[in-house]
Amino acid sequence: MSDPVTLTVQGVSKAYGTRSAVIAADLTLRRGKITCLLGPSGCGKSTLLRLVAGLEVPDSGEIAADGRALSRAGAAVAPEDRGIGLVFQDYALFPHMTALQNVAFGLRGLPASQRRARAQAMLEAVQLGTRGGAWPHALSGGEQQRVALARALARAPQILLLDEPFSGLDAHLKGEVRLSLTEALRAAGATVLVVTHDAREALLMADDLVLMHGGRIIQSGAPRACYLDPVSPDAARLLGEVNLIPGQVRAGLAHTPFGTVPAAGCADGAAVVMVRPEGLRLAEGAGAAAHVAQLRFGGGYHEVQLTADGQRAHAHIAGAAPEAGQTVTVRIDPDLARVFPTKA
Amino acid sequence: MSRRSLGRPGLLSLLAGLAALVAILPLAGVVAAALTGETAAIPARDIARYAATSAVLAALVAVATGALGSLAAWLVVMHRFPGRDIFAWALALPLAAPAFAVAYAYADLFDVAGDLRMWMRAALGFDLPFEMRTIPGAAFVLTCAFYPYVYLAMRAAFVNQSAHALEAARALGCTPAHAFLRVAMPLARPALAAGVALAVMETLADYGAVQFLSVQTLTTGVVRAWFVFGSLTSAAQFALPLLGAAALLLWIERWGRGGRGYESANARWRPLPVTPLAGPVGFMATLFCLTLIILGLLLPAAWLVMAFLPVSPEWPRLIEAGANSLTLATAGAVVTVALATALALGAARVPHLARLASLGYATPGAVMAIGLLVPAALVWRLAPGAAQGFGTGLIMLIYAYAARLMAAALEPIDAGLSRVTPSMVQAARSLGRSPAGAAWSVQLPIARGALLTAGLVVFIDILKELPATLILRPFNFDTLAVIADNYARDERLAQAGWPALLIVLIALPAVIWLTRKIAASRPGDPA
Repeated sequence: MSDPVTLTVQGVSKAYGTRSAVIAADLTLRRGKITCLLGPSGCGKSTLLRLVAGLEVPDSGEIAADGRALSRAGAAVAPEDRGIGLVFQDYALFPHMTALQNVAFGLRGLPASQRRARAQAMLEAVQLGTRGGAWPHALSGGEQQRVALARALARAPQILLLDEPFSGLDAHLKGEVRLSLTEALRAAGATVLVVTHDAREALLMADDLVLMHGGRIIQSGAPRACYLDPVSPDAARLLGEVNLIPGQVRAGLAHTPFGTVPAAGCADGAAVVMVRPEGLRLAEGAGAAAHVAQLRFGGGYHEVQLTADGQRAHAHIAGAAPEAGQTVTVRIDPDLARVFPTKA
Repeated sequence: MSRRSLGRPGLLSLLAGLAALVAILPLAGVVAAALTGETAAIPARDIARYAATSAVLAALVAVATGALGSLAAWLVVMHRFPGRDIFAWALALPLAAPAFAVAYAYADLFDVAGDLRMWMRAALGFDLPFEMRTIPGAAFVLTCAFYPYVYLAMRAAFVNQSAHALEAARALGCTPAHAFLRVAMPLARPALAAGVALAVMETLADYGAVQFLSVQTLTTGVVRAWFVFGSLTSAAQFALPLLGAAALLLWIERWGRGGRGYESANARWRPLPVTPLAGPVGFMATLFCLTLIILGLLLPAAWLVMAFLPVSPEWPRLIEAGANSLTLATAGAVVTVALATALALGAARVPHLARLASLGYATPGAVMAIGLLVPAALVWRLAPGAAQGFGTGLIMLIYAYAARLMAAALEPIDAGLSRVTPSMVQAARSLGRSPAGAAWSVQLPIARGALLTAGLVVFIDILKELPATLILRPFNFDTLAVIADNYARDERLAQAGWPALLIVLIALPAVIWLTRKIAASRPGDPA
C-alpha cells in the first residue's frame, strides 16, 4: 500500500524584499484527496502554490513529493520536471491553439495519433468531446476552465494545483462548476491542492481544509472541524461571518449580554465569545433580552441586528421573525460558539 | 540537488545579454575613440559650429513636425471629412521615401535656374526668396520626410483616449474646444514628446539629404572626418555630442512612453466623438491632409519619374545595387529581429540591458559605424589577413544595422509578447517545457505577427540607410542608396532618380502594409 501522504511542505518561508509572503508553512497533501487552501487576498496562499509548483524558490524550508526533494532554500527542481499539474486562475489557454491542441500540448514523446487520441479522451472526460476544434476565445468561461483542467490532467500528474478556480465565474455558475470540477477530479483520482478565497466553495469542496492568514498557516483539518472549532478569531472569520462579543468568564461560564456559553478550561477574566450568526437563537423561556435594531429579509432566513447592553450582534433567524423595534429573548447555541480568552 | 535552478541565468538571459552587448559595443567604441588616439585634426570650434547647425535644424524640424503631425492626427481621429479613412493610413506613406530623395526633388524643383523658378519669376514678376540649400530649406525637406513619426504617435494617442474623459469634462462645464484643449491635448502630450523625439533623432541621423543640401550637421561632420581626413578620433569627436543628444532624446521618448500609463486601457473604453466637417471646412481638412501627402511623397516621387524617364539607366549597376540592397535589408532584418527577440524574451530578467540597447536607436548610423570601427581595428590588428575580406565588411555592416535598429524592432516585439500572459508561459513550464521550449512553442507563435512587423520596420530602414553603409561597405559594394548618393554628388541627378525611385517602390508595399495595420488597430484588439 502506498504512502497516504504525497506532498510535504516543511517550514517553508518566502520573502520578497522585506515583505514576508509565506512564513514557516507546513502542509501535507493526502493521496487522492482535495485539499483547499483558504485565505484572504494577500495572505500568501498563491505564493505557497507557486512554491509547490516550482515557479518560486523558497528562502528556507523544504518541499518533497513521495520522498523526492523538490525545493529547498535557494534551489528548486524546474517546474517542467516536477510532474505537478497547474490550472491557472485565468486558465492560461494558448490562444494560438485549438482546445484539442491545448490539451495535447503536454503530451510529448508519443506518436501523433496517440497524442490526439489521449487528448480527445481527456476532453471527453470533461464533457467537451465535441469542442476539440474550437479556439479558446470561442469557449465560455466554464468551458475554458475544463479545457485547462483536461490539459493539466492529460499528463497524469501526481499532484494537481488549482489557483482560484471560481474567481472568474458568475455566482450562479459557481455551484455547477464546483460539482463538475469535483466530479472530474474524483474520477481522475488526482491529489489536488485548491487555492481560494471563497469560504463557501472551500467548505463544500475540501476533504482537508487549510487556513492561511498573514503568511502563516493557522489551522488545518476537516472542513466541519475548522468551521465549528476555529483556533482563533482570525480562523473563525476566514470561514464566514462571525460575531466577536466581549464577555467575562466566571467559573467555567462565559457571560455576554446575549447569553452565556460554557467555557470549560478558560481562566476567569475577560474573553471574546465567537458566535456564528446562525448560533444566535430566539429563546423560548430563559435567555437574555435584546433589542431588534434592524431586520432584513435575506432569502432563507432573516438578517437581524441585535443590540444588548451597548453591544451589537448579527443573527440569522430562520422561520418566524420578530419585528424591528421589538425586544426579544435570545440565547447562544453552544455548538456554534467558542470562547477565546482575551490576551493580556 | 543536481537539477536546474530557477535562480541561475538560463539560455534566454544569456542570449539577451549578448544582444544588448551587440548594441552597446559600438557606443563604447565611440567614447573610447573620442577620448584617446591621436590629436584631433579638427578644432573644437568647428565641431561647435556643426553642432549649432544640427541644433537649429533639429529645433526647426521639431516645431514643424510637431505642429503638422498633431494637426493631421487630430483631424483624422476626431473629424469626418472627404477622404478621411484613406488619409488615416496614407498620411504615413512618406515613410517610404528616403529623405535624400525628397531633397533631390525639392533642390531641383526650386533650383534658381530651374523651370519652376523661371516660370514663377515670369508669372509673379519677382523671385521667391526661398532657397533649398539653406538650413530652413533642409528643415522643410526633413519635415516633409519625418512628420509621419509625429502623426503616428499622436494618432495612436488620440485613438487610445476614451470618450469618457472628454464627456466628464463636458459635464463639468467645458465647451468641446475647451475639453479638447484641457483634457485631450494634455493626455496626448507624452505622445507628442515621443513622436517629436523620433523625428529629431532621424534629423540628427540624416546624412544624404543635408549633405546634398550643403548643410553641415554633426553627422556630415562624422562622415567627412572619416573620408576626408581619415581620422577616427575626429569622427568620434563629432559623434560624441550626437551620442549625448541621442541619450537625451531617448530619455524624452521613454518619458513619453511611460506617460501612456494614464491612457485608459480598460473595458469601458469608447472612441472619441467624431465631428463631421461639412462644406468649406471639410474641404480645407481634405486639402491639408492631401498637401502633406503630396509634399512628403507624391511630388518628390513625381519629380523623380519626370527627371529620370528621359535618361536611360545604367542597368547593370542598378540591378546589382538593387540585389545588394534587397539582400542586405533582408539579412539585416532577420539578424536584427533575432537579436531583438532574444532581448525581448530575456529582458524580464535583465531590464537595464534593454534600456541600454535602445540607446542604439537614438544613435545616428554614422556614429554607430564609427564606433564599430574601433573594435574592428583591434580585430584587424590581431588577425590582419583574415579579417579584411569582403565578408567581414558585410558582417560589420549588418552588425551596425542590428545595433542601430534593434530597439526599433524591440518595440513591436515587446508589444506582441505582452499578449502572452505570464501564466501562459508558466502553464507551458508545468506541462513539461523548459524556458526556451516555452518561448519556442508558446511565446514566439503568438507573437509571430509582431515579428513580421518588426522585420518590415527594419527592412525599410535599412533600404533607406546611407551613412553607415557608406562608411562600412566593402570596396565596390553598392546599394541603391549608395549609388543614388554617388550620382547626386556627380551632379547626375537624373540618374540618381532611378535608384531613389526603386527604393520607394520596394519600400512602399511594406509601408502600406504596416500603416494599414496600425490604422486598423484599436485598443483591446488582439493585434
